[in-house]
Amino acid sequence: MAAAADVRDMLDLPAESQPRPHKKQKVVEKRPEGITRELYALLGERAPPIAINENKYKGRPKLLNKLRVRPWRMSPFTNGARSDGLVLNHWQRKHEGTRQPAPEGTQMDVDETKEEGTEETKPLEQEYAFAKYNVKAQLPRRYTDDEYNRHLRNNEWSREETDYLMDLVTEYDLRWVIIADRYEYQPRMDSVPDANAIVPAKQVRTMEHMKARYYFVAATMLAIEHPPSEMSEAEFEWHEKMLKFDPNRERDRKELAALQLNRTADEVREEAMLLEELKRITSNEQSFISERRELYSRLEVPISVGNTAMYQSSQGLSQLLQTLLQADKSKKRRSILGPDGAVASPAGQTPTQTGSTGRGETPSANAAATAAAPNNNNNNNNNNKKGAPAAQPQQVVRQLTAAEEARYGVQHHERVTAGVQFRSDRAQKLTQAKSNVQTQKLASALAELEIPVRLFMPTERVCKDFEKLIQSVNVLLEARKVAEKVESEIRILEASKAERERKAREAAGETSGKDPENTEVKAETDDTAGVLSATAEAAPSGDAADEEKKDGEGDETTKEDGNHKRSASVLSGVSDKSNKRQRR
Amino acid sequence: MNPSNPPQAAEYGGDEVSAIVLDTGYSTVRAGFAGEDSPKSVIPTCYGKYHFDGKDKLVFGDDLIVTPRVGVSIHNPIGKDGIVEDWDMAEKVWEYSFTSRLTSAKSSNPLHNGLNDIPVDELPTEMEVENDEKPLVDSPLLMSEPAWNPGKAREKTIEIAMEKWDTPAFYLARNGVLAAFASGKATALVIDIGAANISITPVHDGMVLKRGVQHSPLGGDYVSSQIRALFKKNSPQPITITPHYLIDSKTHVEAGQPPQATYRTFPADTAPDASFRALQEERVLTEFKECVVQTWPGPNKLSAAGPNGVPNEENARSYPGKPFEFPDGYNQVFGVDRYRVVESLFDVKAAIPDPDSPVPAPTQAQTLPELIKTAIANVDVDIRPHLLGNVVVTGASSLLFGFTERLNHELMSLFPGPRVRVSAAGHTSERRFGSWIGGSILASLGTFHQMWISKKEYEEHGANIVEKRCK
Repeated sequence: MAAAADVRDMLDLPAESQPRPHKKQKVVEKRPEGITRELYALLGERAPPIAINENKYKGRPKLLNKLRVRPWRMSPFTNGARSDGLVLNHWQRKHEGTRQPAPEGTQMDVDETKEEGTEETKPLEQEYAFAKYNVKAQLPRRYTDDEYNRHLRNNEWSREETDYLMDLVTEYDLRWVIIADRYEYQPRMDSVPDANAIVPAKQVRTMEHMKARYYFVAATMLAIEHPPSEMSEAEFEWHEKMLKFDPNRERDRKELAALQLNRTADEVREEAMLLEELKRITSNEQSFISERRELYSRLEVPISVGNTAMYQSSQGLSQLLQTLLQADKSKKRRSILGPDGAVASPAGQTPTQTGSTGRGETPSANAAATAAAPNNNNNNNNNNKKGAPAAQPQQVVRQLTAAEEARYGVQHHERVTAGVQFRSDRAQKLTQAKSNVQTQKLASALAELEIPVRLFMPTERVCKDFEKLIQSVNVLLEARKVAEKVESEIRILEASKAERERKAREAAGETSGKDPENTEVKAETDDTAGVLSATAEAAPSGDAADEEKKDGEGDETTKEDGNHKRSASVLSGVSDKSNKRQRR
Repeated sequence: MNPSNPPQAAEYGGDEVSAIVLDTGYSTVRAGFAGEDSPKSVIPTCYGKYHFDGKDKLVFGDDLIVTPRVGVSIHNPIGKDGIVEDWDMAEKVWEYSFTSRLTSAKSSNPLHNGLNDIPVDELPTEMEVENDEKPLVDSPLLMSEPAWNPGKAREKTIEIAMEKWDTPAFYLARNGVLAAFASGKATALVIDIGAANISITPVHDGMVLKRGVQHSPLGGDYVSSQIRALFKKNSPQPITITPHYLIDSKTHVEAGQPPQATYRTFPADTAPDASFRALQEERVLTEFKECVVQTWPGPNKLSAAGPNGVPNEENARSYPGKPFEFPDGYNQVFGVDRYRVVESLFDVKAAIPDPDSPVPAPTQAQTLPELIKTAIANVDVDIRPHLLGNVVVTGASSLLFGFTERLNHELMSLFPGPRVRVSAAGHTSERRFGSWIGGSILASLGTFHQMWISKKEYEEHGANIVEKRCK
């Protein structure tokens, strides 16, 4: 309620005195159907969320109740597809069988008995709906004796067997799978004398044999009926197909099919793999072809032949750029101008320029280049663009002398890295050592030499010198570090030597040896042995010898060892770093 | 959709002529009206014979399971290979299957049935006429048969249907074809796992390919014999099956402890025959099969190693066992053994040997994979892929847990090349009554009514007509 009041405050509405009891009461009044008022009152204000439904018989839809009931009756029927006139009974709508439906209004259920007699015969006259599905395969006419003797004689097939085959074909509607399955011809022994009977009895007719025989018979019968010249197109095609049936080829095909079916799991797997491979190869080829096409189209940059005077001004140049850009877009391929900055400074570009133009050049040089650019394009000289050879399809490339190269700042890279780099960045990177301390040291060294960390004019030569300088500063710094280290070690060793000598002096003074202390020390030295051996590489051999001698002061020794170790690692780290740097 | 409008016949091609479908098997006979989704009457094929009041009496149907009648003995008119041996009794059993539920107490027109106003003197004559009628006088009959049913048996069947039952029209269909129809396929490789037999029936365009038909006796009864062999070798103690009718009362015992039950005894002269006990034991075994027995789902045999190199037996052992309590109260948890009893359907080496069993040990050629291989090899190569793409599994014994999964794996390994697709009805009754449902569909199709052998044709051509028409 507080929220509602707030909203009212905000909207400047008058405060509501009576919230909404009226509405609620209305809702309460409306009790669901199928529940008595008394029971509903018992439920109280907040009725549980249970759907109270009365199970009520719905009955027929009202619309249907108005319609008259149309009775069904068991009526006999005959099937046109049968020859024996079998009468079966099925349920039928009462008037569906009759041809002229009697007027509905006059019919009452009471009349039923009267009508039965009249309707009895009527459904029989109507043709059975399913009789039309009784279709038989269309087969050529059966041969006569004369025709058989003249055209169809065959050494392998007796007349009886041919008849048997034709019967089967008719019976099974040319379903060869079933015909071959049911083919069980037994030659009649009585009709044929003994010698002839044995040969066909042993023979197993394959489906191909049967098909070949049948097609031969059928084609011959077709030809007898209509000579090929008079055949309709469909018939001719049919005839040709049947004549061309080759049982041997069919048999070979089936053998292959069986082989294909009986592959082992490995073969199946291999085939699947090969198919996959093939798919991959073809798709690769596709992409290769498309890539190559793209490359070719990119290489076909139009060579300008017209007058270049109009490009002399910066206005003309930008116009040219616009047209080229548009052509570029319409071709829907990657911009020939390259991704880097070409669009940002259109004035300084010519169509033949690549993205690497003007890297690290002074503004004045850049300006000079811009001024020279139109001429460059036309005359193929004055080539002051770095990396230009990479993408310039110009006819003649002038060889520059070493002096000229130096003058124009032409460089030959063995390996061109992608992207744009600023020389100043590269120079800056040199001043960043791995550790912060080192960087600070470098910075202080540079400050001492009065060289700014950020070079004012990072030309090629300046950069090179700067690099050299940084390297030597690094070497110096390392040398200093090593010197410091050695110095400190010397100091420590001297101190320990002094200590030892002092101890020795004291021991000489005190005659009695302290056994328990000694053993303890020994144990401690044993412990440190591992550490010692680790440091042995770095530590001078003299140190190791010294340490063997020492006794007592275990704590200090271990500390010392720690120092040794650290120094060793620092040394190796430094050398690593310097190595890397040199490599770079 | 308006319920008062009939569906157009063209919508489903149906036209029901109140035909009766009778699907006969070794274990049960299924009968019902065509067009329904399950048989109304399912009775055991075996019948009881006993002596009472100086007369031989017969008992059919479920009654024989319940009461241990005096000296009752159980017989089955059908031989182990699914072919009828005792025609007289087969006829009686089959007749009982439909007269008991489907055709008895015929309802006549309410105007004439005596409940309404009717002259009293007409009633008795009408009743007598009905009593004289033969059972199927106004129902065409569609019967099923195994695909290897000999011609003699088929002729005998139509003889019974036409002359004893007086059916107006008859048809004899192969149960493999019907099972294929039940799953909506005209071309299929039907694998029927029945009680006495397993059969592989290649069906093409609604017709059986006779050369591909294979069958072997490794059905549900064989699995029962394997379970018996397992019980003999059971580890804490051999298990003897005491059927329910021999138990008076039992008390709860811990798993693996000997049973504590009081048994009912029958004096020697009134005791039921041993065959009755065998039938009752079979019921216990059926329950055991339903609750405990599992097929190793694959891949690979139970004795082989699985895909990750672990032997399948180890894997099977890691699954929790299944408890089973026998009628006498003995109970035990069955571990990996529950896989072993079915394994020999696929792998003959895994059979549990039992020299005392009347069931002979299986041979390699009788196992399911071998049968399928032979069946496929005997049909034309062009339809082999179609058959393998439409494998239909039916028969109540195929409901063994994990069976279809295993069958799928076996088929995959037998035929790695073509696409293998096993379709097995998910619903239990659809699997049990697969061929009956197919018959129900077939006999209610409008286009089928031209295929019936009518009484007239039978009289014209004799029993031989069944060979010509029911191909």
